[in-house]
Amino acid sequence: MTVSPLQGITHACFGLSYLCALLLEVAQMLWPRAVWRPLALVFGFAGLFAQTAFVLYHQPTPASPYGSLLLLAWVLAVFYLYGTVHHPKQAWAVFVLPVVIGLVGLSLVLATAGESEPEFGIPPWLTGERFWGVVHGTLILLAAVGVSVGFLTSLMYLLQARRLRNKVNPGRVVPLLSLERLETMNRRAVNLAFPLLTVGLLVGTVLAPTPGDTWLSLKILSTAGLWVVFLVLLYLRYAVHVPPRRLALLSIAAFALLLVALVTAHPFAVGGAK
Amino acid sequence: MNLRAIGCNVQSASVELREQLAFDEPKLARALAELPARYGAEAVILGTCNRVELYLARPEEDAPVHSPLIAEFLSEMHGVPVEAIRTHLYEHADADAVRHLFRVASGLDSVVLGETQIAGQVKEALEAAQKAEAVGPLLNTLFPAALRVSKRVRTETGLTEGHVSVSSAAVDFVREVFETFTDKTVLVIGAGKMGRLTLKHLQELHPARILVTNRNAEKAAAVAADCGGQALPWGQLDEALVQADIVLSTTGAPEPIVPRRRFDEKVRPRRGNRALVIFDMAVPRDFDPRLHDGDRVLVFNVDDLTRVVDQATQRRRSHIPAAEAIIAAEVARFVQDWNRRKDGPVIGQLTAEIDRLREAVLAPLLAKLNGKISAADRDYIEGAFRLFQNRLLHGPIAALQEAAHTGHSTTLREALRKLFGLQG
Repeated sequence: MTVSPLQGITHACFGLSYLCALLLEVAQMLWPRAVWRPLALVFGFAGLFAQTAFVLYHQPTPASPYGSLLLLAWVLAVFYLYGTVHHPKQAWAVFVLPVVIGLVGLSLVLATAGESEPEFGIPPWLTGERFWGVVHGTLILLAAVGVSVGFLTSLMYLLQARRLRNKVNPGRVVPLLSLERLETMNRRAVNLAFPLLTVGLLVGTVLAPTPGDTWLSLKILSTAGLWVVFLVLLYLRYAVHVPPRRLALLSIAAFALLLVALVTAHPFAVGGAK
Repeated sequence: MNLRAIGCNVQSASVELREQLAFDEPKLARALAELPARYGAEAVILGTCNRVELYLARPEEDAPVHSPLIAEFLSEMHGVPVEAIRTHLYEHADADAVRHLFRVASGLDSVVLGETQIAGQVKEALEAAQKAEAVGPLLNTLFPAALRVSKRVRTETGLTEGHVSVSSAAVDFVREVFETFTDKTVLVIGAGKMGRLTLKHLQELHPARILVTNRNAEKAAAVAADCGGQALPWGQLDEALVQADIVLSTTGAPEPIVPRRRFDEKVRPRRGNRALVIFDMAVPRDFDPRLHDGDRVLVFNVDDLTRVVDQATQRRRSHIPAAEAIIAAEVARFVQDWNRRKDGPVIGQLTAEIDRLREAVLAPLLAKLNGKISAADRDYIEGAFRLFQNRLLHGPIAALQEAAHTGHSTTLREALRKLFGLQG
């Protein structure tokens, strides 16, 4: 049996690459030098390459907590690189990379011992009774991307608003996107995430119910809480016109609930985390 | 190098004198034609609102052009008594002139430290001189070098970072709040001078529309006509505040024109969640400062903007040593490169001359020994002569290169020319 070179890629490869990229970005903020940013991008791209290879090789299912965290980290890593390349003057990476690294770390904690062999052809989780579970997991994952973007833009918004409230010299601080831009991004992320989350939850409840799960389990409660927070967010934004600063706080709460929902044990993870 | 930088600037001459000495286009063309003809010198004239400077380079064997001559020239050109000019002129020679130009181009000699506009003016001065065919090898090398140094200082130090005017600081704050401006409304209240200057900067953001209101309708109409805006009656101030995204207020009102209660009752409820940035440039202030919440309503007064400007200026000052170090290194490099360039032909001629002498001695000798020595002996003799030549030349060439470092190779170059009978 031949051993694929991709088998040697581990969480450490991309996790540490992202960490190096983050440290270089911090160095760029503190001691600006022309060399930090390109080096950070090299590490960022190397991390993304390694994670992509890892995901392709191990094919983690989005229906498992482990898989959903890893895939969410991958999407956010793409988001980080896109943002850094397109907005080189903004302190993008210092907000996104800690989340990416955190998600990779969480997925590593959830990973069970023992490597599964790579699966080629149609993965088993795309066939049979697990299909609706995977649809449910994928929709929740896509909604999670929206929640994560909403969280990041909210953090940046709050920081930017705080600086403006204190009338901090614009030239003296970490460059951030404008309030208007951050608000727009947050609104789009929430608007996109809500229908995905709703349909994902409906699929999970109606078509792929979990045997043994009760309405009072932490996963169900946190997911329902997340949905309610989203509903409240939309209501406050469009019906009550609550100031964006309060909406940003709610977006951050939504992200916390999302993390709880994702790391809580999930029935579709049966058969190993990887 | 026979280079002089002669002129006056904001430190050495009053604005009245600088105005009198300013070169308009016809005068500039005339001067750039006159200077090479009269003094046999390459010439570039750098004229800005803060300085009038002439850069003059003559062949090394000629006497330099000194400031009294230039005072006379300027006196003739502008019809100003020579006594009124002479004492206000400064003169920088050779490497000092190079350093001066590098500092000027980098914004180190500017009133607003680190301003970048000067680099463009240096470039324009060179282009005007090139067009008039007033420049030769030295100034054609020096000015592009100055622009390169200016770029280095700009990119490698923080000398040009941050805004150092109240108006540009205001624009910086606006950019922190809004992303696009083509859908925004700017409201101008009053007609103060500071407001007009800031409005000019805000206009560069291309807002969708500008509304102008004033207690005096005529003044509002005049400001609106000036900026392409729309004048509104003073009675519609609340309505204008509802529509506005950016407010620029510069009235001379003795009390706030928009107290908090008025804003909260008549404006805020109708604005929805839209952000409003208010630049209250009036003293006493026009808007209640308690309106500022850092999110939906942001109020910046003159003190806030002045503080930003002071911080930026202070930060720029901290980068002066780094900028001066770059300039010192670049001046040394320029002087060395220039001297090497001048030494190159002398070294070439010297080597060719010694080559010729070696051949003149060696050829008859080898002809006489022809058939009596082996090929190996012949090679040995040729090698020995070449070695002798190299050792003979090593001293003068090394001395010339050493002198190039210090910028004093002219005398040595002349001595070598005379000693070895080289062409001038």
